[in-house]
Parts: sequence; structure tokens; C-alpha cells
Amino acid sequence: MDRRAFFRTFRGGGGKNGMSELVRLSEVTKVYQGGITGALNGISVVVEKGEFAAIMGPSGSGKSTLLNLVAGLDRPSSGTVTVGGTDLGKLGEAGLARFRRDHIGFVFQFFYLLPNLTALENILIPAQLKGDAVPGRARELLEQLDIKAVADRYPARLSGGQQQRVAIARALINNPTLLLADEPTGALDTHTGDQVMELLGRLHRDGQTILLVTHDAKLATRHAARVISVMDGKIVDDARLESPERAASEVIRVRGEEVSR
Amino acid sequence: MSLKYGVMGLLAEESLHGYEVKNRFEAMLGGTWEVNIGQIYTTLQRLERDGLVRPAGPRGDRGKLLYELSPEGQKALKQWLAQPDSGPQQLHEDIYVKLLLATRIANGDLDGILARQKRAYLQRLRDLNRLEERARRDGRLDLARLVRGALLHTEADLKWIDELSSERFGAEGARTE
Amino acid sequence: MTAVLLKAIRDLRRRRLQAAVVFVTTLLAVGTGTIALTLIAQTSDPYQTAFEAQKGAHLVVDFDGKVDPGTLASTPGAIGASAFEGPYRATDMQFQSGGHKYTVTTIARDNPGGEVGQLRITGGRWPSSGNEIALTRSFADLNHVSIGDRLRVLSVPEEPILTVVGVVVDIDELRADVGGQQHAWVIESGFASLTTKGASFFQVDYRFAGDPTSAQLQADLDTLRASLPPDSITGSISYIFARTVFHISTEILTGVLVAFSVFALAATAAIVANLVTGIVISAYREIGIMKAVGFTPTQVIGVFVLQILVPTAAASVVGIPAAMVLSQPLLASNSQALGLAYQPSYSPVLGLLALAGAMLIVTVAAMIPAFRAGRLKPAIVIANASAPRGQSGRWLRRLASMARLPRPIVLGLGESAARPVRALLTLLAVILGVATVVVALGETRTFNEIYSYEGHVGKVDVAIAKSPALADADATQLINSQPETKRVVAQAFSNITAQGIADPVNTLTFRGDSAALGYLLTSGRWFSAPGEVVVNGGFLEDAHLKVGDTFTGTANGAALKLRIVGVVYDFTAGPGGHIMMLDWATLAAAVPDLSPSSYMVTLKPGSNVDAYVRRLAAAQPDLLDVQVATTGNTSFLSVIAVVLLAIAGLIALIAIAGVFNTVLLNTRERLRDTATLKTLGMSPRQMIAMVATSGGFLALVGGLIAVPAGVVVYRFLFDQLSALGGNTTPPVFYDVFATWELIVIPIVGVFVAVAAAAIPGRWAARTNVVEVLHAE
Repeated sequence: MDRRAFFRTFRGGGGKNGMSELVRLSEVTKVYQGGITGALNGISVVVEKGEFAAIMGPSGSGKSTLLNLVAGLDRPSSGTVTVGGTDLGKLGEAGLARFRRDHIGFVFQFFYLLPNLTALENILIPAQLKGDAVPGRARELLEQLDIKAVADRYPARLSGGQQQRVAIARALINNPTLLLADEPTGALDTHTGDQVMELLGRLHRDGQTILLVTHDAKLATRHAARVISVMDGKIVDDARLESPERAASEVIRVRGEEVSR
Repeated sequence: MSLKYGVMGLLAEESLHGYEVKNRFEAMLGGTWEVNIGQIYTTLQRLERDGLVRPAGPRGDRGKLLYELSPEGQKALKQWLAQPDSGPQQLHEDIYVKLLLATRIANGDLDGILARQKRAYLQRLRDLNRLEERARRDGRLDLARLVRGALLHTEADLKWIDELSSERFGAEGARTE
Repeated sequence: MTAVLLKAIRDLRRRRLQAAVVFVTTLLAVGTGTIALTLIAQTSDPYQTAFEAQKGAHLVVDFDGKVDPGTLASTPGAIGASAFEGPYRATDMQFQSGGHKYTVTTIARDNPGGEVGQLRITGGRWPSSGNEIALTRSFADLNHVSIGDRLRVLSVPEEPILTVVGVVVDIDELRADVGGQQHAWVIESGFASLTTKGASFFQVDYRFAGDPTSAQLQADLDTLRASLPPDSITGSISYIFARTVFHISTEILTGVLVAFSVFALAATAAIVANLVTGIVISAYREIGIMKAVGFTPTQVIGVFVLQILVPTAAASVVGIPAAMVLSQPLLASNSQALGLAYQPSYSPVLGLLALAGAMLIVTVAAMIPAFRAGRLKPAIVIANASAPRGQSGRWLRRLASMARLPRPIVLGLGESAARPVRALLTLLAVILGVATVVVALGETRTFNEIYSYEGHVGKVDVAIAKSPALADADATQLINSQPETKRVVAQAFSNITAQGIADPVNTLTFRGDSAALGYLLTSGRWFSAPGEVVVNGGFLEDAHLKVGDTFTGTANGAALKLRIVGVVYDFTAGPGGHIMMLDWATLAAAVPDLSPSSYMVTLKPGSNVDAYVRRLAAAQPDLLDVQVATTGNTSFLSVIAVVLLAIAGLIALIAIAGVFNTVLLNTRERLRDTATLKTLGMSPRQMIAMVATSGGFLALVGGLIAVPAGVVVYRFLFDQLSALGGNTTPPVFYDVFATWELIVIPIVGVFVAVAAAAIPGRWAARTNVVEVLHAE
């Protein structure tokens, strides 16, 4: 129970009650020159605060581009990206950096931990870039994500699952408004991947807005009640799924052959 | 066929009478297969006729009869378990037929069929995910594994739908260019 | 081989920036090296050529005017000279030209040719009447006297006017710009009117078959001295001495250039090694693929070495000819001093030698890291896109974290040490660069310091040269009558013969408070009583004496008992030269007609020096040359200073290129980390700060090591230089650097390094995160 309370403290304002708009993409296109796939072609979508939305599509469909635009890592060729009321197009490089630092937590498929820093040092980086010294909070995160024992290890000496947990802790250290996860289980085995997904689900239940990019429908529907399908740079489907408690027989029917004579 | 072996499998554990067989069977399948008691009795009678099960002792009070697996039955069960599922692929779902029809009938609204089916599959995935979660929470690992199989099946179906959609989209793209 | 070449050239095209770094550094290093080589190869040439062409004298001896010229005619036979010219009559003559007064040794000679010591006329003609004069070319050039100028002779009361009609090159005298008194020539019939009775002497030029050694010449002089009445020989110059003096500036230059070009090449080698290591590291996967498709280890090494050799060859092709052209003025200055028409000489052999040297050094520097690439196992390297990085920066980061420095700074510090070998090689380049600047600064400054001491700067305000025509008493009376005059030290030149020293020793005799002139003593003390002398180190060495020893000197036929009380630091005597300083009282008894030739005057504080100079000059416009005391003629020093500082600048540039290169390699290799940091919200400014810190820190550490190292090297080099003049370096020359300078030099270095590192820093800040992170 205290664990839930803990995560709630990371949410920072808002809440499940009274959904409000957090991310808005209007007529966003992104054109790449030369070889890079993932162009976007007139995308409009709104993500509410507190949502766990999955962006699903095959590789090269533009789903990662969408995530990068929301993170302010990339700028659209046309259209606007607004996060928390801020038009990212109006921010300069430094402004975008500040925006990412203060509002975005990013989790990658390949973790991207800085190899020459220990786990704890990695986790602390965003806070230190902000000028905050929050070792106490980092320690709490370590405990919550069950990586306290490896805090002083270098990434090379961590398992994939541990690395991703460290990366998630790093993404959470500044209480991000929005957690972005790009194929977070892509480099992990099924079991470890499940644990990471479970962690994301828990964060969402405690109020964290999450945008998950994946090509895996099983993962997309695990915790996300909304699945946005992207194909060839367009949103082809935006499904809001129901989550009632259903009896097993409503979901699966096992049926053998008719009794033989 | 599998109801027959299901009953035999349950009797291999211990001797049961008809009603117990029904309850155990349904519990094992976690509510994914409901059978009526009549089907159970019919099955038991046929098995007894074929010499695969036999009554274990005299009929008890209120006419309850305990069944147990005969040596022949044990042999047959063992054989069945060892045998892989072969035979033709079974496609139960209407969507396959709907697709065939939609391509034949003019204005069959194939896109609409695909889109709606995709939603349905997504919802099913969501439900299956929740079911698996629940099974795990209840400690029913065997059931969770069953659900997992269903999940993967549905995923395959979804992929198929996506492929069909992109095939059509690609064809349209080629035409507009 | 074709595959190796193809791959190397394609790689080169992709790694243009690295190629540019190699090009620039090797260009600078090869240039420095070629200049040094050119000077080494050519120093002896022009002088030797001229010496042979003009039948230069191996020995020039001055004989007292009282000696019978007939007797002198027999001297060549006595010492076995193969040819001789003279005796010429000669006299020290003072004249005025363009407001300045000069003293030259005027020689009576009708014919510039002859068997020995031919004079080559480089401008005008030989004098044909008694009122014409020929000057040496180096004197004329230095003092801006030209043909047609009219000189007023001040050293005789009649003050005759002479017209300059010719400029000649005399191979047998010391260079004007190094301080030798120059010769001038008039025809014999015009000589008598230019000298006073007893002021003239004889000069004989001897030439021997073959080139006699210094010792042989010494023995010849002893033979001459023995065969003539005492004190007949008043001076001599050997061709060895003249040649050494002629070459002194080139020698200093060459020595320092050699040292500096070694520095430059070492720095370049360090950078090249770094660069190839960097390429190998970043091309890990590629190496694996190369091996997988069948490159042998040798071929892999070949690809990497070739990549470096191509820009090196390009730099050599540009740099070697450029350096040869640039070194021509330095070479030309020697020939021009000799009046030789300078033939620019370009030696292809030398060029090839420089090219081969550059290629060899660069190849070796590139081979070592390339071997690593050759040895790598394909499976391992394909699996790892780049080499694993160490955690060497850890302790540094910890330390910085404890100091509560901002995170980007801490990360930058860690980065600078992440690859220890690279950091060390970079440090080497930085240390060489900064140390060279320190050395160059020190050397040029001490050269000036020496001349300041020679000119008694700060101790003497006005230097007054007196014509022999003016009585000492009158001059002294005039100077002392000036209200501003605070202290006067009179100075007379004479010669004292000392046991064991062939030539008469140039002697400075002081009247007045000579200790106040501030001559630098390397040991002992200034003389304070009659009979005490101060000598230079060369004298002690050649006479096999030490401080405290007593020896007998002969002046004007009289024996003097002299005790050495101190050693003076002196460059005016030149390499192998001797000098002695003593008090008036010591010499006055033996030389009754001793008369000062100059007065060094110190004024009362606050006096107007210019007014004083004008007043005195006006009082005796012809017989006194009154000048504000200066450091004297330092033109040859300024050439050395310019060359030294320029090359130090070049090596500093190489060091900067080294820092730039290292930072560039680091940021390139860390592209993914950079992109990650950007994603985490590192601002462009923080990114630049991080990268700049990594470069600045290396420069800081390098500077902290280089400054003391540079001071040590400077001291060593200066000791060598002092030894040229037979001196030991007085401590005061060790401390030519102010403390603040030694602090500022590394700080400036850090600033420059930070600025250089900020360039890749800016590139890092502009990293396209999307491309980097999704190219995985």
C-alpha cells in the first residue's frame, strides 16, 4: 500500500479525476531526406493526462518519430506539437532541453545508460542537470524498482532487466509529466520484459501518463486502454478499449470435437 | 475427442463419480468450457462399454457409482498424450468466411470488415491480457499458459488483418501514384 | 594491395576532418624540421666558400707601431706561412656620419687584391685618392652609410672629410652585428693625415697551406712573440674565431631549431598515434568485417597506416618546399653579410630526407595503434561496434563530485581521462607546446637581458665616447660640471698579455665606482683593490686558473701581479674570447698615458636625460659622442627572437590541434552518450561546457607540468649557450620569468584549449539525437 502512495508522490498535480489534455499533435508531418524511414503524414491526436496510450505499428511506420516529436527531440516539418499547453515549436534548443529535463522521461529499447557512470550516477544525471541534489529520492527509486543492490555497479555489470530498471528510474527522477517508452522490452527476454511492463502498469495505476511505442500488440494491450495504430505515417486506427471484469468463458471458449460414437 | 480423454485424465488421478467429474473438468478449464452432466454420463457409459473405465466398487448411496481407469484405459490415455496434434488446421471463426464473401460481393466493404475486426481483436487481446493477469494472480499458472496460447493466436490473427490492410493500402497507393 | 589502397582512400574521404588534423600538424612539424635541416646543412657553406674565394687569412696579427716594418717582412717565414700580405699601417679612427659617431680600424692599402685577404668590392670602387674611403658592407648596411656619403674624421684635429666610394667584404674580420670593430680602407698616401703620432700600428695577414688548427695558430703566435721585442703583438684574430663569431647567431638558431623540431615531431607523433587509435576504436566493427571478407592483419594495418600517410605526404609536399623557401632569408643573411650574391639553394636530397623522416615518424606513430587493429579477432569486433571504454575517469569524477562542481563539468573531467593512453599522448603534445613557449620566451628575454647588462641599463643613463683628440681632464671637467651628474665611471680599453693565452687579453680599465656598473658575476666578487681583476670564464678555462689565483700579466712591457677575485658573465668577448676588468690604479703605473675612451654617467634622479645629452653634445660637438645608454645593437637578437617565438607558436598550434583532435575523437566515439544526454535534457550550453571541460582539463594538467619543465629546459639550453662564451649562468638569468607569467601561461593555455574544444562541443550540442539513437 505504501508503494502506491509512493508513486503517487511522483505524479505531480492533476489526477485521474477530471481528464485534461496533455499532448496535442495537429496536422503534423515529418519529412526525412535520404534513407531515414519513419516519415509522418498529417497526424492529429490528443493524449489526456493520466492516460496509458500505446502507439503501435510495424517498423518504419513513423511511431518512433511521433514519440521523438512529443519529446522535442525532433521538430515537425509542418504542424504543431503541444505538450502541457506549451507549443514545442516556439522553444529553442536550450528551451527544448529544459522541457525534456523537466517534463519528459524517456525509456529506450537499448537502455542507453552512460557506460562510464554507475547506476546511481546515471539515475541522478537529469536531476543534476537541473541543479537538484536528490540522492534521497534516487535511493527511494532504487528501492521501489528493486535495484538498490546494484546502485554502485557500472552498466556493463548489470543484466538487461536491471539496466532497463535503472533507465526507468532515471526517467522518473525529475517527476516527469509524461513518460515515453520506445520499445522498452525490445531488448529483453519475455520474462524480464513482462516485469518491466508490470512496472509501467503500476506507474500508470498511480497516475503516471505514459506513451508506449511498440510493434507488439500483446504488449500494447497489456496496460494501455488506448491503442493508436500507425501505418505508413498515418494513424489508421485509434482504439479505446474497454476493461470490464469478464468471465473467462466470455473471453475464451475451449471446445473439443463432438463426442465420437 | 478431448472430452473423452479429459474424463479419462481426471479418472487417472483418482476414482470419481459422474458429478465430481463434471466439477473437476470445469475447474480445470477455468470456466472456458462448460459441460452438462448428461454429456458426462454419456461419455462415461461409452468408455465403460469400450473397457477403458470400470466401476470402482458397488453403487453407493443415492445410486452414485465411482469410476476408475482400467489398464486398457491407462494405455489409451498414455498413447493419446504422446501423440502430437496433427490433422488439418481448424479455422472456426466467421471472419474467414466473411472475407471470402466480401471479395466476391460488390461493395462488400472489406476495409470496414477489417477495421472492425481489428478493433475486436485488440479488445480480445486486452481481455486476454487481463484474464492472464487474473490467472496469475490466482496462482493458476496452467490456466495462464492456456490464455497465453490464446493471446498468441489472436496476435497472429491481428497480424493477418494488418497484413491484409496494408496489402490493400499498398495497392491503393500504387494506383494513386 | 589494390583493395588496401581503395579502402584507405575511401576511408580518407570519409574521415576528412581527421585527415585535415594530420595535414595541419605534420605541415607545421615538417616545416620546422626542414628549416632546421636546411640550416644545419648549409651553415658552413657560404663562409667557407667566401674564405677560399678571397684567400682569407688564417691569422691576422696587429703589431705595435714601433716595430720595424722590415722585421715584420721576415715573420711569415718564421711561422711557415705560405703567403702573407702587409704589413699594412692601421689606426683606430673615429668619424661622424648622419649625426652618429663611429670608430673603425682604418687600414692603408692600395690594392684590394693580393695573395691573402682579398677584399671583394660589392659596391662602388676602390679608393683612388687620399680623401676617399672604402667601408665593409656589413658596417655600411648596419649603420645605413651609403656610397657617396661624406664622413668627417674626428680623431685627428684637422677633421678631414672622406667620401665613401666603395663597399667591400672582408672575410677576416668579425661581423659588425655581433659587435666586432669594423675595418675601413684608404690608399696609403691618404693614411698619414688620418692618424696621430703613436696611434698607428701594423697589421699582417698570414695564410697557411691547409687549415691550421687553433693550437697550431697559438703556437705560431708564441713563436712570433718570442722572436720580437716584448709587447710587439697587440692583437690577433684567427680564422677559427672569426668563423665562430660569424656563425654564432646561426648556431644558436640551429641548436634551438633542432630542439624545437624534435618537440614538434614528437607532438605530431603523439597526435597521429591518438588519431589512429581513435580511428581503430571507432572502426571496430568495420575491422571485423574487413577481416571477415579476407583482409590479412598486415593489410588491415596497411589500410590504417595509409590513411595517415596520404595526408602526411600531402603536408610534406606543401611543407618541405615552403620551409625551404622560408629558410632562404636566414641563409641569405649569412651570404649577404659576406657580400656574396646569394644563390638560393634547394637541395632535393635534403627535401627527400625530410620527407623520408616525416613519413618514418608518422608511420611508426600510426603502426603501434594499427597493430591493435591487425590483431583483433573478427567475431569479437563485429559484436562490439566500438571498443569498450574504461572507467579510468572514475576517480577524477568522484573527486570533482565531492568538490560539488556542476554535473557537465564533472562529466567532462571524467571524459578527459576515460582513455588513459589518449590522455597521456595529448598531455605530451600540450606539454611540448607549452614548454616550447616557455623556453622561447625565456631565451629571447635573456638575450635582451644580456644586452641590457652590457649596456648597463638602469645603472648608467648616458654613455659618452671620447675622441683621443680631447684630453681626459677636459672631458672629466666638463662632465662633472653638469649639475645633474651623479656618478661618472671612466673606461679605457687596452691589452694585457697573460701567460697561457695567445692573444693579448682585451682589458677594460675602470676609474670611479665601477662596482656600480652592475656587471654580472657568476662567482667571486668585484675587484676592490689594486692588483685585483675580474675575468670571464673563457679566460679562466684557457689560462687554467681559478678564482683566488694570482698570475702575471704584461702591459706596456711592465709585469703586473694580478689576482683573480671574480668571474664576470660576458658575451662581448665572443666564443673562445677573453676579457679582463680591473681598476685604474692597477694599470696606471704601468701605462702612464692610459686615457679613457668613454665615460658612463649616472644622473641624479629626476634629471632630464635628453637635455643633458643635448647640452654635452653641444659643448663638444666633435670630440664627444653623447648617447642615452641603451641596450646597444640587438638586431641579430631580434631575428633569433622572431624565429624562436614563431616556431614556439607553431608548436603551440600543434598542441592545440592535439587537444582539438582528442576532444573530437572523444565526442565522435561518445556520440550515443551525447545523444542520450540530450534526451535527458542536457542543454546545448551544458553540452559545450562538458566537452570544453574535457579539453581544458588536459590543457590545465599539461600546463602545470609544462611550465616547470619548460623552465628546466630553458635553464639547460641557456647553460649551453653560456658555455659557448665560456660562462656559467648567473642565477639572475634563471629567473627571467615573473611568477604571474608562470601562472598566466597555463591559464592562457587552458583558455585556448577550451576554445578549441568548444568547436567539437558545439558539434556535439547539435547532434541529431534521432539519427544517432535510431541508427542502432
